[in-house]
Amino acid sequence: MYAVEMENVNVYIGNRHILKNISLKIPYNSVYVIMGPSGSGKTTILRVINRLIDVNRDARVEGTVKVLGFDALKKDPYELRRYIGMVFQTPNPFPHMTIYDNVAIAAKINGVAKNRKDLDAVVRWALEKAMLWDEVKDRLYDYPHQLSGGQKQRLCLARALAMKPKLLLLDEPTANIDPVNARKLEEAIVSLKDEITVIMVTHYPHQAARVADYVTIVYDGRIVEQGPANQIFLRPTTELAQKLLRGEI
Amino acid sequence: MYKWRKLKDRIFFAVILILSIIAITPVIHLIVVTLANGLSVIIRAGPSFFTSIPPAPTSKDVGGIAPSLVGSLMLTALALPITIVIALFSSIMVNEFPRNPLSIAVDVVAKSLASIPTIAVSMVVYLLVVVPMGTFSTLAGVVALTIVSLPYAYTYFSTYLRSIPETYREAAYSIAMSRWKTVTRVFLPIIRRGVLVTVLMTMARILGETAALLFTVGRYRIGVSTSILGPTDALPLLIFDYILTPYRNFQEIAWGAAALLLIAYLIIFIATKLAVRGVKL
Repeated sequence: MYAVEMENVNVYIGNRHILKNISLKIPYNSVYVIMGPSGSGKTTILRVINRLIDVNRDARVEGTVKVLGFDALKKDPYELRRYIGMVFQTPNPFPHMTIYDNVAIAAKINGVAKNRKDLDAVVRWALEKAMLWDEVKDRLYDYPHQLSGGQKQRLCLARALAMKPKLLLLDEPTANIDPVNARKLEEAIVSLKDEITVIMVTHYPHQAARVADYVTIVYDGRIVEQGPANQIFLRPTTELAQKLLRGEI
Repeated sequence: MYKWRKLKDRIFFAVILILSIIAITPVIHLIVVTLANGLSVIIRAGPSFFTSIPPAPTSKDVGGIAPSLVGSLMLTALALPITIVIALFSSIMVNEFPRNPLSIAVDVVAKSLASIPTIAVSMVVYLLVVVPMGTFSTLAGVVALTIVSLPYAYTYFSTYLRSIPETYREAAYSIAMSRWKTVTRVFLPIIRRGVLVTVLMTMARILGETAALLFTVGRYRIGVSTSILGPTDALPLLIFDYILTPYRNFQEIAWGAAALLLIAYLIIFIATKLAVRGVKL
């Protein structure tokens, strides 16, 4: 059994063929990293998994996508997303909600907490898991614009975790934050895999090497190479993968 | 070089300052003249200005504006919520389902309505509501005011909704929020200031609209009417009618009513600026 199984997935946006025959299997409780240059289709793979691709009205998905045993393309997307958290490249906490409410809303929407005491506990747990609790515990009722970029991103991670997801999608979560915050986020990601399957998109080979159990390299909408992280980093078989890992593309 | 740049900067500043003064002078003049003429009438008449009916043309009494004031308040109280609800839901529908044929139709109709002269709206409502009912009425006025202010409110709401970055929709969907919850718990709170601004600006528009009421409400000034199905009056109509008469006391009433409307506008304007704190994105 796999957390995610994709078979011959093709994605078209208008006339453009974005993903070409993507097939991959993502084991439970692993950190699975998708690497590739900009525009290679990494984010699109994530958006197929949680059906955020549907937001784009020109998008068309073909193939088989199984997520946590569900047929993801047939299941009600709102129901499917109850099991899948996501953190985006640019931090996007809800600007009108306090730090507390930003995390609590995810728990409330998904029925994770039954009462205020439960909710407080979930909010604290999520902020601790996102390594943000110590920094915000005395200012839970501040607004996100009062946080730094890295703190906002960890707030988004806490929001995603408050849903108690089984699957966590991270779309270049450290792209817009400083190295200290990036390290905290990486530590949080690694600590999560005992409970959650993590799929992370990243540009950075070094980051992938630090956190990944498995790696897939995508180029121009196709999978170039995939396998256990050690194998990919130590013995990449394709020239494209070697170039990517050397930072040449 | 530096001195020349500094001089250019000062010249530019002076030009902007002069143009700004030219732009705001008529507005300040209008406010000062209206308040100077109108407030003196209101003060002279005292509270009866708000509770009495207008005087006879040759009367020495200042009289009051009660029928028009009550009419304006009723028309606003009825037309505003109807307009806001229809405009808000229409703009949400168009924003959420932009390619739906109904949304396209709503968008086209709303934008077209904005370009129709309000006096034409008054004539249409006269034919469709006043003639079948056999009487001018508050209801006809409400219908006309709603038609006139709807595109205005719709455009405001649509602009605010479109200004919300798509990343917040994705954030909401990613935590399994439905489309409806995304609108009610994320979008509307983010644009809460815009919603209030729209409500207040639409209220100002309804309060000040004249042409849409010309053939609809009936200028009932011999008593205070609270009937929805009977004729009524409105402040802008009273001002329009009385300022054109040769009677001094009628002109004074018009100035007083104009000052009252202006004060209402200024209060609405200041409230719009102060009432709700905007959301920092």
